[in-house]
Amino acid sequence: MKELLVVQNVSKSYQDHEQRTAIPALRNVSFHIREGECLGLIGESGSGKSTLARVLLALERPDAGDVWLNGQPWLALRGRALREQRQHLQIVFQDPTAALNQRLPIGRSVLEPLDNFPHVTPPFLAGIRHSRRATAIRLLEMVGLSAAHLDRYPHELSGGQRQRVAIARGISLNPKLLICDEPTSSLDVSLQAQILHLLKQLQTQLGMAYLFISHDCIAVRQMSDRILVMQEGQIVDQFKSHQLTDADRHTYTQQLVAAVW
Amino acid sequence: MPHPSSVPVLEIEALTLTARHGRQQVPLVRDLNISLHPGEMLALVGESGSGKSLTASSVLGLLPNAVQVAHGQIRFTGANVLDWPAKRRRQLRGTEIGMVFQDYQGSFTPYFTIGNQLVETLRTHTQLSKAAARQMALEWLAQAALPAQRVYDSYPFQLSGGQRQRAAIACALMLEPKLLIADEPTTALDVLTGERVLDLLTAMQRQVGCAVLLISHDLRHVMKRADTIAVLKDGQLVESAPTATLQQQAQHPYTRQLLQARPSLAELQARPEECELV
Repeated sequence: MKELLVVQNVSKSYQDHEQRTAIPALRNVSFHIREGECLGLIGESGSGKSTLARVLLALERPDAGDVWLNGQPWLALRGRALREQRQHLQIVFQDPTAALNQRLPIGRSVLEPLDNFPHVTPPFLAGIRHSRRATAIRLLEMVGLSAAHLDRYPHELSGGQRQRVAIARGISLNPKLLICDEPTSSLDVSLQAQILHLLKQLQTQLGMAYLFISHDCIAVRQMSDRILVMQEGQIVDQFKSHQLTDADRHTYTQQLVAAVW
Repeated sequence: MPHPSSVPVLEIEALTLTARHGRQQVPLVRDLNISLHPGEMLALVGESGSGKSLTASSVLGLLPNAVQVAHGQIRFTGANVLDWPAKRRRQLRGTEIGMVFQDYQGSFTPYFTIGNQLVETLRTHTQLSKAAARQMALEWLAQAALPAQRVYDSYPFQLSGGQRQRAAIACALMLEPKLLIADEPTTALDVLTGERVLDLLTAMQRQVGCAVLLISHDLRHVMKRADTIAVLKDGQLVESAPTATLQQQAQHPYTRQLLQARPSLAELQARPEECELV
């Protein structure tokens, strides 16, 4: 499989103004994601997972290192060119309540990414892209919602339904890579399972690659082909998903595993 | 370890909670029976909206105004607290019944230091002098495996989530209550921090000897700790059994569904094909 995203020696630190010191959030991070593959990223709070997501989305500039998307240098892009390429890289956040505009009905929220890319027509919207209503309904149906949710507001939906809307937005441009940053952490166990099933099904159906970020080993194990383990901004372990419980895993990985065994 | 022969710390009998909806009274919790003995940890498990937090609120006497106890008894060490006046029930909270919540942000007032709040709690409920209260607060923070002096002098926002939840547990247990109600205490924390907080809770429970009512949405997660597990669905108890029994043979389909929703890592590794997502 072709390499979709290549990350090489990326470092990023934040300034602590009180102490006048630099706090490293990412240290020499290197990895790649292949087309259609799900790469899991585990680590506890503060290990640098979300900083990495922000760097990959080009919301933050790293201090050092390179990122290639589709063979193109991703960090060199600016302005129009960057915006244009962003269609290939979308994200689903942990908290769907914060991700959705509470003043917009679901039908409009779900169309926002497509409105930003009027010339993009993903295959699953072929023939209906001219109709906003039909497009919104198709997207909602793809995530297990229906036309009935079109005119509702976020507060009228349950947490699980809101996360489905956020996923519908995430897939609407048919991205090559979807970053899922703790997509199930704010949901209860039964809903978590439903959302994981949905994400897996969409991945297969649309051939997307995922970077699946979570502190939950079990969800990561279920979703991913390969797994990276991050501690204090460094990748300390990486392996194929089924090797998660092997005896020669890094001590930190073993601790994470023991916590859910 | 539980003592089956002793008087239960908490007995909930045929409890029905209702809310007014238009002209009707809608039942939110129906005919619930639970009993909890000294030193025992009982986990009340269910999905969002199953009524587990409402049940805890009814024990604490903190039900929202719209919700009433329509039927049943809540006995604390043998006495039905529902007959008690509000003032007496208030005295129960903090001293006899400790509380730890999911939202550790809300456990402490943001503009007082942790130390001040612990001392205030101690001095409200005991006759301790200021110096003695300070000493005791520091000891409990140290027992919660926290850097005592630093945490004592810190404001809540200066601590991490795990540290704040540890401080909240110390605060709830330092008055040595007979019952601790912990409502999703680790849900907002990451896995490792959550495990350490539960380890602390268990260790401190042993030391104080109190009973714990642990509320959680994650059956798998509480299985390691609880002596007994009660599964709640739509306000009704579907199954209640010692943890080992439930682990080996869950009777109710809903309990099995909860277990399937989250396979254990052991199952995943042994039989990955049965845990496939697609």
